[in-house]
Amino acid sequence: MNLYEYPAYELSEMLKSKKISSVELTKDIIKRTEEVDGRVSAYLKTDPEMSLEAAKNADQLIASGKAESKLAGIPVGVKDNISTKGIATTCASKMLENYVPVFNATVVDKLTEAGCVISGKLNMDEFAMGSSTETSYFKKTKNPFDLSCVPGGSSGGSAAAVSCGEAVIALGSDTGGSIRQPASLCGVVGLKPTYGRVSRYGLVAFASSLDQIGSFGRCVKDVALLTDEISGHDPMDATSVNMNYPSLYDNLSSDITGLRIGIPSEYFGEGIKPEVADSVMNAVKALENKGAKVIPISLPSTKYALSAYYIIACAEASSNLARFDGVKYGYRAKDCDGLTDMYEKTRSEGFGREVKRRIMLGTFVLSSGYFDAYYKKAKLLQKRIQQEFADAFKTVDSIITPTSPSEAFKIGDKISDPLAMYAADICTVTVNIAGLPGLSVPCGYSEAGLPYGMQIIGRKFDEQTVLNLGYAHELAFGGFRRPKI
Amino acid sequence: MIKGYEVVVGLEVHAELNTKTKIYCGCKNSFGLEVNTQVCPICLGMPGTLPTLNEKVVEYAIKMGHALNCTINRICKQDRKNYFYPDLPKSYQISQADIPLCQNGYLDVIMEDGIKRIGVERIHIEEDAGKLLHSDKFDGSLVDFNRCGVPLIEIVSKPDMRGSDEAKAYLETIRSILKYIDISDCKMQEGSIRCDVNVSVHKPGEPFGTRCEMKNVNSFSAAVRGIDYEANRQIEILEAGGTVDQETRRWDDQKGISVSMRSKEDAQDYRYFPEPDLLTIVVPEEKVLMLKETLPELPNAKIMRYEEQFGLGRSDAAMIVDVVEKSAFFEKCIDAGCKSPKLLSNWILGEISKFMNEGTAIEDTKLTPEKMAELVNFISDGKISTAVGKTVFDIIVKEDRDIASIIDEKGLAQVSDASALEAIADEILAANEKSVADYKSGKTNALGYLVGQCMKASKGKANPGAMKEIILRKLGG
Amino acid sequence: MKIDIDIRHIAKLSRLKISDDELAGYEKEMSDIIEMVEAMPDISDELTVDPDNAMTLRSDEVSGQKFSRDEILKNAPKTVAGCVVVPKTVD
Repeated sequence: MNLYEYPAYELSEMLKSKKISSVELTKDIIKRTEEVDGRVSAYLKTDPEMSLEAAKNADQLIASGKAESKLAGIPVGVKDNISTKGIATTCASKMLENYVPVFNATVVDKLTEAGCVISGKLNMDEFAMGSSTETSYFKKTKNPFDLSCVPGGSSGGSAAAVSCGEAVIALGSDTGGSIRQPASLCGVVGLKPTYGRVSRYGLVAFASSLDQIGSFGRCVKDVALLTDEISGHDPMDATSVNMNYPSLYDNLSSDITGLRIGIPSEYFGEGIKPEVADSVMNAVKALENKGAKVIPISLPSTKYALSAYYIIACAEASSNLARFDGVKYGYRAKDCDGLTDMYEKTRSEGFGREVKRRIMLGTFVLSSGYFDAYYKKAKLLQKRIQQEFADAFKTVDSIITPTSPSEAFKIGDKISDPLAMYAADICTVTVNIAGLPGLSVPCGYSEAGLPYGMQIIGRKFDEQTVLNLGYAHELAFGGFRRPKI
Repeated sequence: MIKGYEVVVGLEVHAELNTKTKIYCGCKNSFGLEVNTQVCPICLGMPGTLPTLNEKVVEYAIKMGHALNCTINRICKQDRKNYFYPDLPKSYQISQADIPLCQNGYLDVIMEDGIKRIGVERIHIEEDAGKLLHSDKFDGSLVDFNRCGVPLIEIVSKPDMRGSDEAKAYLETIRSILKYIDISDCKMQEGSIRCDVNVSVHKPGEPFGTRCEMKNVNSFSAAVRGIDYEANRQIEILEAGGTVDQETRRWDDQKGISVSMRSKEDAQDYRYFPEPDLLTIVVPEEKVLMLKETLPELPNAKIMRYEEQFGLGRSDAAMIVDVVEKSAFFEKCIDAGCKSPKLLSNWILGEISKFMNEGTAIEDTKLTPEKMAELVNFISDGKISTAVGKTVFDIIVKEDRDIASIIDEKGLAQVSDASALEAIADEILAANEKSVADYKSGKTNALGYLVGQCMKASKGKANPGAMKEIILRKLGG
Repeated sequence: MKIDIDIRHIAKLSRLKISDDELAGYEKEMSDIIEMVEAMPDISDELTVDPDNAMTLRSDEVSGQKFSRDEILKNAPKTVAGCVVVPKTVD
């Protein structure tokens, strides 16, 4: 077995016992990337020299016995909307093609201090707007299970890289499903933590009230490890929650006896491919066999969640992306005739079509005379959806749904039909709207061998139950299945 | 009232707060430093950065709310005001929309004909923008972001002022309060306090007229000029049978005119919505109360007290209160045992103001409240004359010396001894026969001259009251 | 329900230029989305601030982190004399 194929928690032991060095491991990741990235296109930027330098430092840290983190020496891929000091952070947009942050995102600082090796910056949908990674200005990432299919999105690069061994683990961001949906489509594990668990400082904002940084891995243990590393209150982020975060990894348990699992009927009917629903229900049965109780529940406002989501997300995005105006950083159009012309040309040339549409949608719903009909209504619906979840969690400990309504689709299939593309997020957006933790684990494969994903939702800050269920499922289902690439 | 029209004025005052750091980041909040040296990724709105609210900004705004008798919304939020401009890095300003920190207050201003109560609609907190610099030599504008994120409070009045005199009194009182509660430096020339002016006119008994908003009013005197100009402009339109358009105008103080900036139709659509990067502002009840209790005596109350307790005239009281340092010094002198507040106020508004106007602060001199109180007491007790007092004052401003020893050393003690005064009187009367004759023929102002000559002969040491009595006796006798 | 959206006006507010041949496409997509969101039910309630969602305020202390002007402006498209340059703007 090649080093790149091992999970992080095993590599951690091997590094600690000096069976391998971080430099060896990092070299193997670099080699694997050279082998497959020409076909997968997961990375926007790698810097092998810089990675090896970091690996050398990690080896010294481990040798000195001062490495406190289990992730010391482990290569981690970082989505390209997470700021890395001195390394271009483009959000896969022409607008930020040459933008190099002067500061690190808090999560990057945490990983660096832990002794992690940044393996590179990963492709994504432009400004995290999309569900297929096709809106990237630079390149289209392919699904390692079928190179003619999308990897999902917006963290498609992160999911694909972890899936085919170009990274051991990776960071992504999730605003409406952008970690869970690509994890599902690429057959890996992805966790969107509770809103406020992980600092957003340095994450280029799409929709501030919904965005959350989270983890990708090929197994639940790895996701628990990485989530532990990035969790915690950050004084730089007023929305990060100041509380104790006990180790998810240390407390991981496959004993799920007595856990009550809610199955919301709304997530298994119209719009969901029957094969996906069946595979999720098979997995739920397996959990029931291991001692969990299955309880049918109803979340009736689910059908409006997508609408509320697009209004809130686009409203915030229209404001968050207004700073890209060609003045202080990023792209500035040439040959402008005055200030307004510079603004308009810069933004029209710098942003792609999906981004422009969402900015306009957001501008529209906030504009004079429409605020009450759209934004206010969406926020009230958000409250109702949150309440429905809170009520449900009085009788269940966790809720299980499909992650994506179908397996990976062909590149180009949905890109020109926004509503069809938006429907890919139908199972995941409610979790962001309610600010809950959501995990996607692989739970089956189509006839063509494309993965299906199961979403496990928990109470606020109860990532532990979610991961324990995922872990129990993983043991029953059999872990990660490698794509043939 | 101008030409039978009532002038209605509302004011929006922006005051920069003198906190140590900016409102949403830990950058130093200071004025006048080299361009773009007081900025960080946060106040420059770099991608991924987030705001964190400075607790002092909330406290300062609540203090002002208390000073202006407002209701404090101890649970409130912040909102984004979206517009594009090069000096606004995020392309939105974090401000407050529907729930300001303070609202529904009032301010009593002292006018010549009594107290006028002016309603205060709201006070909210927000961030300042940067500055655009222009040069004729350069084809473009330069942006200095140092001022971005400097904390501001915006104080919005109700349209309760009736003319520029009330507006001026309101502005001056606001400025005075800001200084007394020490939340703003109020340096007009540094732009730390600015205002937007709303003006409308109507005939008494008729509903309010259409209002125009005037921006770029950079001083209180400009506000007065702007209001008067704008009222007259609107009256002229109405008198000519026209109608006033609702619009935003720009005041050009150099030319003394306002020009249209944008009409109501072009009004900006700011697309306010709750700032998602910040959570609810919740100020504990006890803190709101504590901030009220620690409020110092406010300028208007001080003026009234100086009138009642110390018998000062209103304008003298107002002039002392107008400058925090003067009022503080005044009160310290009283505490140090000064027996004549009236005389003290003359010294403060005279000699002390003179050196303060030249830029010297009281602390920069050797003058202490104890010395000043002693000096005033020497004069009011008749131990030295005012003229000698000035000599002593000039010394104790520069040197740390004992007043009594100065008087002794220079032999400056006032002479009240009758025989010594008689001798001087005899000498002067003998030397000024013409004046004596004038007095006797009814030209009573000759008396003043004779007393003056005596004072001069005594080198200012003679007690002027006693001297006058002796001269009178001798002339009459 | 057909909703009319003045794309040109919205584009202007967003500081975007929409060419004539892009207009129809955006119009169609936007009205499709708006039609979807129109299905949201009416909720007769007001938006309120949640006192349980309170934030910790920052103490008024100068940050230890300092950025040089060169560093802070290194991403700016055009600078002169330590300032960012924009087309002539006089309000």
